[in-house]
Amino acid sequence: MWLKSLMRNKYRYISWIIGFILFVGPFAIIMRIYYYLAGILREPDLHTACFRMPIDWIFSGRIYYIFSYPEMFLFIFAVLITSLILGPIFCGWLCPVGAFSEAISRIIPLPNRYRIQIKDPRITRAIRYGFLTGFIMISILILLGFSERFTAICCWYCASSVLQQITNGIINPIELEYWFSGSIIVLIFWLIIGGIFTVGGRGWCLFFCPLGALSGIIHKIGSKLGFYRTIRIEGKCINCGKCISVCPMQAIDSNFSIERTLCINCKECISRCPNKLYKMIWRSKNASSKIN
Amino acid sequence: MKKVILISFIIAMLITLFSSVYAKDLSKSEIVHFWIAVPAGNITEPITIIKASLPPIKMAPLVIDLDQRGILKKILNPNTEAISTHWIYNIGKKPIRIKLELIEANYPIRWEVKAAWPYDPETHTFTKPLPPGMGIPKLSIDWIFEIPNYYMDEKVIYDGGLLVIDADTNELLTFIPIKLIRGGISQGGGASCG
Repeated sequence: MWLKSLMRNKYRYISWIIGFILFVGPFAIIMRIYYYLAGILREPDLHTACFRMPIDWIFSGRIYYIFSYPEMFLFIFAVLITSLILGPIFCGWLCPVGAFSEAISRIIPLPNRYRIQIKDPRITRAIRYGFLTGFIMISILILLGFSERFTAICCWYCASSVLQQITNGIINPIELEYWFSGSIIVLIFWLIIGGIFTVGGRGWCLFFCPLGALSGIIHKIGSKLGFYRTIRIEGKCINCGKCISVCPMQAIDSNFSIERTLCINCKECISRCPNKLYKMIWRSKNASSKIN
Repeated sequence: MKKVILISFIIAMLITLFSSVYAKDLSKSEIVHFWIAVPAGNITEPITIIKASLPPIKMAPLVIDLDQRGILKKILNPNTEAISTHWIYNIGKKPIRIKLELIEANYPIRWEVKAAWPYDPETHTFTKPLPPGMGIPKLSIDWIFEIPNYYMDEKVIYDGGLLVIDADTNELLTFIPIKLIRGGISQGGGASCG
């Protein structure tokens, strides 16, 4: 079954592999190129382009880290700008963290009835942005001097580090010997609960990724401005519900309306809909509002 | 439905805040992060070094109580523990080639060093002199203690420290005492890398 699914959206899976090679060590091609051009000696890995630390630094008043880690800020900026214009394609097509958990979810043939699914995307959105608000509040509390009670959660619960550790462990198994509570919790929530036991396999992306949540907001703004987005057009729907069950972000509700802050433009609904009712458009604001 | 959405939002936010408090508590006994300034002498009590152009550097002897680690760690991966630094600053007046040494280890301690600064893993030495007022860029050092089972029953599992030495003169620049114990109060470290 997963082979059939593999063929249906094969370009996305090829893109996942490219994303892995671009960001995860020992390849980490993007950061390797950056380090080479900047004359930096260090060996890059997935954590070189942290998805979360710059967001914490901005809100905790440590934006001066931009001078020490400009590559991280550039990376976040690039992801957000592409989210505005093309939608969160980094999340849907390149992010190795999301791709890995989604791939695990697809490989393990657990029926969806045993998996977590929130039927109403508004609740999913509320949880996602509750996390983002908490994430930002922690940074602000640290800025206000509460660092004795709170710590930034970026590094303590870091799926990027765990993915890099697993990859390193394939090459050198000794790297898998050390785990701390945060990395064990991440492993449970990212791969087991968020991957295997969540419909779509992107529980981590949905609920614990601040960059994904910010990209969702930017995508919503971009779609209102008429940039690239997935829409559902008028047509004969046979109510098969396949679009709902294949959406890795649980972004489509029972009325087949797409929650823009969750959609990652992955095209799974487009490739699965038997009547081709989903498509991607790039049109002016007025044209899009007619269709929606 | 609006009530459910609001409650979902608040619960997610509270869980996030709680996860930060939990992480802060555990950061005193798991993968403890600490700062290093050289030269700073023998660190016998908590000190804060304030230097213009550098962030405040807090240093203290590290006492890590393995019994205070998280429940998942204690059940699933009790026999390894790590300490870590991202910050080594030269607060002196001359450039220094920094050599690191962990003393009094009766079992394997694995070094994982990454830095944008030339480093020799055989001698644990940064081969390029670090200028005054500068930190080693993009530094990440993890020392992973692989503790044999029979040591886990001891009250004191490791009692040593980190020597920071001038590689050219062999002069001791800084010494940070490090203890891994079972039962007691963790102190020192707890810095956040995020």
